[in-house]
Amino acid sequence: MMDYIDGKLNDVDKKMVEQELMNNTESYKRYAQYKEVMFLMSRATLIEPSTKLKANFEKMLQEEIAAMPKQKVVFFKPVLMYRAAAVIALVIAGAGGGYYISRQQHERAERLAMQQQIDATRALILGKINNQQSASQRMVGVSAAYLETTPDQEIVKVLIKTMNEDSNTNVRLAAVEALGKFQQEPEIRKALISALSTQTDPLVQLALIQLMVEMKATEALKPMEKIIEDDNTLPAVKDEAYAGIIQLS
Amino acid sequence: MKKQVLIIIGIVAAGFIAANAQEYKIAKSTGKLEIKEVNDVTVEGYAGNEIIFSSLDFSKEKDKRAEGLKSISAMGLEDNTGFGLSVQDKGATIEVYQLKKMDGPKVKIMVPKGVAVSYVHSSPYGDDVTFKNVEGEIEVSTLHNEVHLENVSGPLMIKTVHGEIEASLNANAKSPISIISVHGIVDLTVPTTIKANVKMSTSYGEMFVDPAIKIEFDKQGDWTKYGSNKVEGKVNGGGLDLTLSSTHSNIYLRKK
Repeated sequence: MMDYIDGKLNDVDKKMVEQELMNNTESYKRYAQYKEVMFLMSRATLIEPSTKLKANFEKMLQEEIAAMPKQKVVFFKPVLMYRAAAVIALVIAGAGGGYYISRQQHERAERLAMQQQIDATRALILGKINNQQSASQRMVGVSAAYLETTPDQEIVKVLIKTMNEDSNTNVRLAAVEALGKFQQEPEIRKALISALSTQTDPLVQLALIQLMVEMKATEALKPMEKIIEDDNTLPAVKDEAYAGIIQLS
Repeated sequence: MKKQVLIIIGIVAAGFIAANAQEYKIAKSTGKLEIKEVNDVTVEGYAGNEIIFSSLDFSKEKDKRAEGLKSISAMGLEDNTGFGLSVQDKGATIEVYQLKKMDGPKVKIMVPKGVAVSYVHSSPYGDDVTFKNVEGEIEVSTLHNEVHLENVSGPLMIKTVHGEIEASLNANAKSPISIISVHGIVDLTVPTTIKANVKMSTSYGEMFVDPAIKIEFDKQGDWTKYGSNKVEGKVNGGGLDLTLSSTHSNIYLRKK
């Protein structure tokens, strides 16, 4: 019935409803009532928004519209800024991260390079010192060791061996000098003092005696007395030993 | 006894005279020449590929009795040069001894540029040892010899106990240069252009340097680093290692 009033029914249904309304007065009455209610309802919806309301609404709408762009600006700009900030932050983070990573890598590379340098220096020193053919090459190795600032275990071992056993005096003397730089190391101090008892070359003996005085090594007094008592000792070495004993005791 | 001595002298003399050769050559342009206990030697560098030994004062008289005989010595050495030198080729090294202990021949040895030379003398009978124009490494260790190095390049590893050392470096100077002595003076002539890290030390001698050779002494803070008897410094910004030391005598560093 409602649908009929609204005109939503198809032709077949429409005819059926019209027949019913014609045959049944009861139905027609209801139809008339319905129609009026619906008419009133439809009117009501049309009338209700008064002109004032409409004006109000319009005004509000205008305000809303006026407010809209403002809001847009307020709303949109931060987004842009955020985006920009985000991009900048990303770039900075990226760059920073990249820099950090590259710095890490750089540092690692540097450390690696330094380690390689140390290894290379050590290999060079050891390689040169072990060159049995050429005294000058052994000298180059010992001179490189002399420039080292910290004593490397392996190099120290080779230097001590060189000081005690090398066939060339110049090389042995250079080894004494290189070891003398690290005289505060207990192991080296011990080796230097014991070398005093075994060295027979006057130049090395002289260097060792002078080193003992520099080290204030009172432990060296006995071996120095032995050097003086030895008939084979060069007089100049004996003199140096006497002078050393006087300074140490 | 007298007879035996005479026989030995005869044999030795025969050994000298038996061989005709005044020169002894070894084809060798690399390796190391080791001269041991030869009292008086001059070594000269030259552009060639043979080591040439010769005697400067050998009498050419022949001992007919020794013809076909070989000279022998108590050291087990063999005079294979004909003038009192034993030369043994051991591949990478060539060893040279003299047969006499106290006297011996005055020897001249020509060496190619690539050959390193070492000279060792440990008896009091050492006389002079001279190196001229040698471009290779020179190693000298003696008790009494006077050492002369003329127009050499180094590397030099020179040590004497009593002998004086006089050296003159050419422009091709090679590191390291180490010249040390207990009682002998050390006198080194260098080109003024030399770049070197210099270490000089003497305990009881003096040090003299030509003013044309500017040594920048190493400093420790505001203080120039002088040990009790040792100076270290750089010449022309530094370069080859140059060590000069004489415990009881003077050091002279002069320009060419």
